[in-house]
Amino acid sequence: MLELIDWSKFLQVLEATIFFAVGVVGLFSLGIRLLTNAQHSVPGANKGKSAAVRAEVLNRLGAYVAFGLCLVALGYGIMLVAPWIFGLETK
Amino acid sequence: MDPIFVVSVVVALALFFDFTNGFHDTANAMATPIATGALKPRVAVAIAAVMNLIGAFLSTEVAKAISVSLINDDAQKTLFVGVVGAQMVFAGLTGAILWNLTTWFLGLPSSSSHALFGGLIGAAIAYAGTDAINGAKVLEKVVFPALFAPLIAGLAAFLATRVAFLVTARTQESRSKSGIGTGRGKFRAGQIFSSSLVALSHGTNDAQKTMGVITLVLVAAGIQSDGGHVELWVILTSALAIAIGTYSGGWRIIKTMGTGLSQIKPAQGFAAEVSTGVAILASSKLGFALSTTQVASGSVIGAGLGRKGGAVRWGKAGQIVVGWLFTLPAAGIVGALSAFLVKLGPVGFATDAIITVAAIIAIFQISKRNKVAHHNVTSEVEGASEVVASPRQVKRAAEKAARAAKKAAQKGKN
Repeated sequence: MLELIDWSKFLQVLEATIFFAVGVVGLFSLGIRLLTNAQHSVPGANKGKSAAVRAEVLNRLGAYVAFGLCLVALGYGIMLVAPWIFGLETK
Repeated sequence: MDPIFVVSVVVALALFFDFTNGFHDTANAMATPIATGALKPRVAVAIAAVMNLIGAFLSTEVAKAISVSLINDDAQKTLFVGVVGAQMVFAGLTGAILWNLTTWFLGLPSSSSHALFGGLIGAAIAYAGTDAINGAKVLEKVVFPALFAPLIAGLAAFLATRVAFLVTARTQESRSKSGIGTGRGKFRAGQIFSSSLVALSHGTNDAQKTMGVITLVLVAAGIQSDGGHVELWVILTSALAIAIGTYSGGWRIIKTMGTGLSQIKPAQGFAAEVSTGVAILASSKLGFALSTTQVASGSVIGAGLGRKGGAVRWGKAGQIVVGWLFTLPAAGIVGALSAFLVKLGPVGFATDAIITVAAIIAIFQISKRNKVAHHNVTSEVEGASEVVASPRQVKRAAEKAARAAKKAAQKGKN
């Protein structure tokens, strides 16, 4: 009976879960680290120190890119489950 | 007996089952964000209800797996035709409801999904022997996902928690020098999205189990030609039933939340929810019908272990696993007993229906009389969190053991 089971599907669930979960959590954590850096550069940036301004902008930008990528990953996951939402396949 | 009457009773019972499923599982999605303070309870419950509603519309793979795969093709076409097929589904469903209510009353860990599959499988075997069951499909779509999905989600949550703590880590020296903290409290904002993802995935898997059962009975009664698609009204009513159940179940959380999961940090909550959501969505995509409670529990345990210094309380873990393994065969036996009763004819059918309705009313009355307190409504996900001892608890236990050893040594000297 066991030979009738498509084991590759379980491997797919394992790969997808670990890849997406670790990827999204890793990206979100990176975003948090960069945003925290940016928030602490603000006092210097307010005083017009150019290095602090640059650091604040770069950290904040990096953080938003990381958060944005999390949303893209989420959208991609939903597209895989329900492609019809994105007009890719009729239900 | 009129098949339309039996079908109507089955549809009503299936929707009631769906309602209780949502009622029971609100905590799966919203336990951790409420515990960490990421969401206010009322907001969390409303988000869970809406997300469940949306999720139920996303995919129908699990519903198809139930309506097409569990019962053997030949048995579906020859044995379970007309009123007999509808009665078999009725017996399975009442078996599942009775088992669910009993375990809820006795406070035993259980799974609504496994109770449903167990009940249906038991009833089909009682009607037509083991040949009626598509053994390979039951293993592939139900039994193995039940075993693997919590482990996969737990492993993913463990790794994700490790990554979250690693990426946001700052040494004590750099923290005191720069005055910058780890910023891990910001994971609370992420939990709003991650818990919504769990509620959405819950709708894609659990609402479909009801859709699958209703489709199964519609095909058996000849109202629908095949189980390869799900009627729109079935999707709509199942989605609404689970959403209303989720919203109604929220009051229990509002009154009781916040003790069991107090050791969970926002970073762990976020990692656990993302892992749960992704594991359920990936499984729904492939038509695996799993217990969402078990997957959420696996993730909470994995996230607990992912934090440095966490330890497993093997006794508690053992209790939970035994509860998980026990549900399917136990519900199968209750489903088979219901089937033997229904096979007796209209009197048996009526008796089974009366027992089920009486049990529902009795449990409802008892739950109304009992004061809602943490001990009688603790979610299983909260129970799972107790499997892992936090670093603080491990330290306290070690200190206690050292004190006891010192005392014993002093006594020995004296």
